[in-house]
This record gives sequence, structure tokens and C-alpha cells, in this order.
Amino acid sequence: MTAVHPRRPARRYGPEEDPAVSEAEAVIQALSLRRPVSEAAGNDEAVRLLLALIDDVDQCGPSDQRCSSVSITPSA
Amino acid sequence: MPNVTEGCVADAKSGVRLATRSDGAAHRDDLKDLTSLAVQGDRTAIESLLAQLRPMVVRYCRARLGRVSGQYHIADDVAQEVCIAVLSALPRYRDMGRPFASFVFGIASHKVADALRSSVRSAVPTQDLPDGPDEGPGPEETVVRYIEAEHARRLLSRLPDNQRELLMLRVVSGLSAEETGNVLGMSPGAVRVAQHRALARLRAMAELESIA
Repeated sequence: MTAVHPRRPARRYGPEEDPAVSEAEAVIQALSLRRPVSEAAGNDEAVRLLLALIDDVDQCGPSDQRCSSVSITPSA
Repeated sequence: MPNVTEGCVADAKSGVRLATRSDGAAHRDDLKDLTSLAVQGDRTAIESLLAQLRPMVVRYCRARLGRVSGQYHIADDVAQEVCIAVLSALPRYRDMGRPFASFVFGIASHKVADALRSSVRSAVPTQDLPDGPDEGPGPEETVVRYIEAEHARRLLSRLPDNQRELLMLRVVSGLSAEETGNVLGMSPGAVRVAQHRALARLRAMAELESIA
């Protein structure tokens, strides 16, 4: 008597093709380029934290001359 | 002495915001062309190259080092050291097919690690109080922003080193998956998978904190 085992479903995609990975890439790309994220991503706590950090490090007060110009190239 | 102006964009309401990248692929091509000219000693190319790189380095150092006494002086000084180190190393730089940004952030990563090792969190002397209206955000907005950013830093510091570095480079500094992979020794595909895991871990930590 031969036992018949149901065939295992083939894995459809590797981790790189996982839709969740692509979604995370889209969100991170938007954050990276300082573009607006989707409403759903905006409600994500992790994205909200990253947005707060971005906002903080990108800000530069008008009196902060370090952000307006630097002189680091040698003299001519 | 020629100045390298980083191209800040003035915004009447939010003060001055560091210049941001507009398009990834075009930016990489620009950097590649500028780098080859800069390595040959072209002064204009050197200035343009540093002007493009500096905002990314400043953000990276600020995100990693945070504020001391409410200021970014130390982080900005480290960023300046990174730029000077890049400038010094430029004549010896050889294009090995990796993005120039990976070379820069390799230096930045070491400089930040050095700063963290030797950090003495002491008071930073400041200049006299400015005489004039403060056009920045109000005290309440400033405090809320500060608290949220510190919360983000605290949770990020609890991520594994590789995941934290990856998010800093991709999100804060604005590197592509390829550039980030070159800095961290990963393929772009591995970067995308790892950033997905890092984001999930950050989310889980944030949710756990909000419950507790």
C-alpha cells in the first residue's frame, strides 16, 4: 500500500519578493527622499518615529551658521 | 578662501532646512561624475561634491550622536571632521566600482564610533543670547519635537547594530539600498529584507512601550 502525501506547495517567492518587503522599501524610499508617505504608512508607529527623527535632524535654526555655510576647502 | 555652501533652502515658517535629495539615480550619477573630477583635483568639483555630501553626513551624525545640552554642536563638529577626512583622502581615492557615498559613510561610521567612545557629556559653552526675535518654532512645538526625536533615538539604540546603522543610512542620510549595501557589506536585496525586519522590530518595540 502506498501512502499518498499531499504535495507541499512550492514557495512562491523568496524573502526579497515578499510583498511586505516591497511595501517597506516603498515607505523607506519615500522617507529617504523626504517625500510624503501614504496615509496608512503615516499611521504606522515605526514610521512616525522615523519622521520625528528626520524632522529633528533636518531642522536647523536660522542662527545656526554651521548649517548655512562651511569653509573646508583649502585656500587657492 | 572659497566657501562650500550647502544650499540650504530658506523656509519662512520652519526656519532653514537642510538641502534634501530630489532624485536618487540622478544624484548618484552626479556624484560619480563629480567624484572623478574631484579626484583629479578640480576645485569646483571638490566644492560641489562636498556641498552635496555634507547635508547627508550632518544628518547621519546628528541622528547617531543626538543633542548635547539641547544643541547639535558635537554632532556637527564630527560631521565637519568627516568632511575634512574625505577631503584629505580624496587624492588617494580609487574608484573600485562602489558608490562614493559608501566611502564617505565608511569614514563617518568610524568617526561617530570614535566620538561615542570618547564622548564626555559636558556642558557646551554657548555664545551670548541672540538679540532679536526668535523665528523658530515655539517652546511647546520644540519640546514635543525633541521628546519624539529622543524617543526614536532611544528605540533605535535598542536595535541590533546592523539594523540601526541600516535605518540611519537609508532613512536619515538618504542613501539608496545599493549605497547602503556597499557601506555595510550587503547586497541591495539583503538591505531591503533587513530594513523590513528592522522596521517591524522598531514597530514592535514602540507598540510594546505604548502598552506598558
